[in-house]
Amino acid sequence: MVSTGQIRSLLQGYAIALLSVSLVFAATLLLQRFFPYPFLFLFFGAVMASGWFGGIGPGLVSVVLSTLLVDYFFVPPFHSFAVSASAVAYFVAFVACALIAGWVGASKRKNVAALKHGLDMLEVRVSERSAELMKTQAELAHLSQVLSMGELTASIAHEINQPLTAVVTHGHACVEWLSANPPNLEKTRQTIERIIQDGTRAGAVLSRIRALFKKEAPAKDWFDMNEVIHELTVFLRDEAVRRHISIRTDLVPGLSKVKADRVQLQQVVLNLMMNGMDAVAEMTGRPKELVLSAREQDAELLVRVEDSGIGLDAETSEKIFHPFFTTKPHGIGMGLSISRSIIEAHEGHLWAVPRPSGGAIFQFTLPIQPRESDA
Amino acid sequence: MPESPPTIFVVDDDASVRDAISNLLESVGLAAQAFPSTEDFCNAPRPDAPSCLVLDVRLPGVNGLDFQEFLEKSGISIPIIFITAHGDVPMTSRAMKAGAVEFLMKPFQKEDLLAAIHQGLERDRIWREEHAQISSLRDRFEQLSSREREVMDLVVSGLINKQIGAQLGLSEVTVKIHRGRVMQKMQAASLADLVRMSDKLKPRARR
Repeated sequence: MVSTGQIRSLLQGYAIALLSVSLVFAATLLLQRFFPYPFLFLFFGAVMASGWFGGIGPGLVSVVLSTLLVDYFFVPPFHSFAVSASAVAYFVAFVACALIAGWVGASKRKNVAALKHGLDMLEVRVSERSAELMKTQAELAHLSQVLSMGELTASIAHEINQPLTAVVTHGHACVEWLSANPPNLEKTRQTIERIIQDGTRAGAVLSRIRALFKKEAPAKDWFDMNEVIHELTVFLRDEAVRRHISIRTDLVPGLSKVKADRVQLQQVVLNLMMNGMDAVAEMTGRPKELVLSAREQDAELLVRVEDSGIGLDAETSEKIFHPFFTTKPHGIGMGLSISRSIIEAHEGHLWAVPRPSGGAIFQFTLPIQPRESDA
Repeated sequence: MPESPPTIFVVDDDASVRDAISNLLESVGLAAQAFPSTEDFCNAPRPDAPSCLVLDVRLPGVNGLDFQEFLEKSGISIPIIFITAHGDVPMTSRAMKAGAVEFLMKPFQKEDLLAAIHQGLERDRIWREEHAQISSLRDRFEQLSSREREVMDLVVSGLINKQIGAQLGLSEVTVKIHRGRVMQKMQAASLADLVRMSDKLKPRARR
């Protein structure tokens, strides 16, 4: 298929051939007055230029034109297409040189074109690959979030369920031992002892989990919340672009530092941001945006994640923090409940309010160190 | 044939669950043998008695469902009752399609487990009976000469003596003699009986 662009460049090639040969012809005519012999070398330049810019076709056209002009005007007998016997060798040499010049020009052009095509292909491939990479990265970010919570709940369920199964099964056995005739009291006693053991074990599992979220906050460090927010916006930028969501930040420079587990707080903010992005995903008619802000207020740091999404009603805005409550088709309903546990373990609060301009605001507070003792 | 008491095998990596199931089975008068892993179960000798296997899905090293497949491939047939803390529909349907008796969620109720175990034992009993019958049939079939086997094949495919004779290049009388011997050796009371036996002798997949 030939596109209009191709036709245009083809015509351009022939125009260049005509133009350059005409120019050279004029120049040669002019130069003839100053030299005792015809100055034909310029024609090779015109042929080469035509081959270079127009390719093989225009190159050949300029060869033919040059040959005709040279034959008619500069090869004896002049003003005739005939070639005198003495000038044959000279004329043939001219034509051969013109052909070679045309061929060199055209092949040069072909090489350059091939190179350019190769470069273009490379660029396309690089951009395709990097788009794939970005997509993978975003999926990974999402997946690791979902997976860690999914695995957590599955392992909690399993850890609790095993001793619970043992308790229930032993209980059934106990009833059987007691209903035997006569009742087997020794077996009953043994079974009850095992029930006590298994119940204690289930309790131990629970307190381990509680320790995971509440007491254990070992990696508390001083850091700037602005940095965390900035890092996460960079981290999620590609995912946001992919989903046509704009992420804005409204940060006050020189915020007081907070003492907290940086990784845990990163997870909280990441979770709030992912939620926000999910909430705006189905929005139409309003710009899809996420606004992150952090400021100091009443000796506390207030971090807000606002989205222009579907929003919350008063009832769900509390329910969403309950474990296993979810509004997402593939959600587990643990993200916000874990996030709240983390914030409360840092003596802060996490809550949600409707956004006046539509959407929702998730915000949390953290106690901050007074500025003077900031060390 | 006097039957030995049935045995229930339990494989669960959690000692307290294993213990509890054994205790429950013992309390209702069933003999149980519990193992922490499928390997231990495979290495233990199995008594010649009806049995079934109570198998945890999540086991260290091997998945219970994969082990079910492994048993099937190894030609070890034992009815399986799966127990799991976190089963889902695909898991359940895979297990049931592969012939599991029941798929129980932990914690399970006594009635459900015992009903499944009785069903499993019944299934094994029937299978063992069938199996014994087939092996005795196979013994009888082994006693046939190769000519007699050829004749038996053609007889059960519905040919009359004349046709069999023509096909094997024998006289009708000779076919008749062979046929009589087949009936005698196989202890078949009638032609219909012989057809049924030949049907059972054909190798087939066990359900």
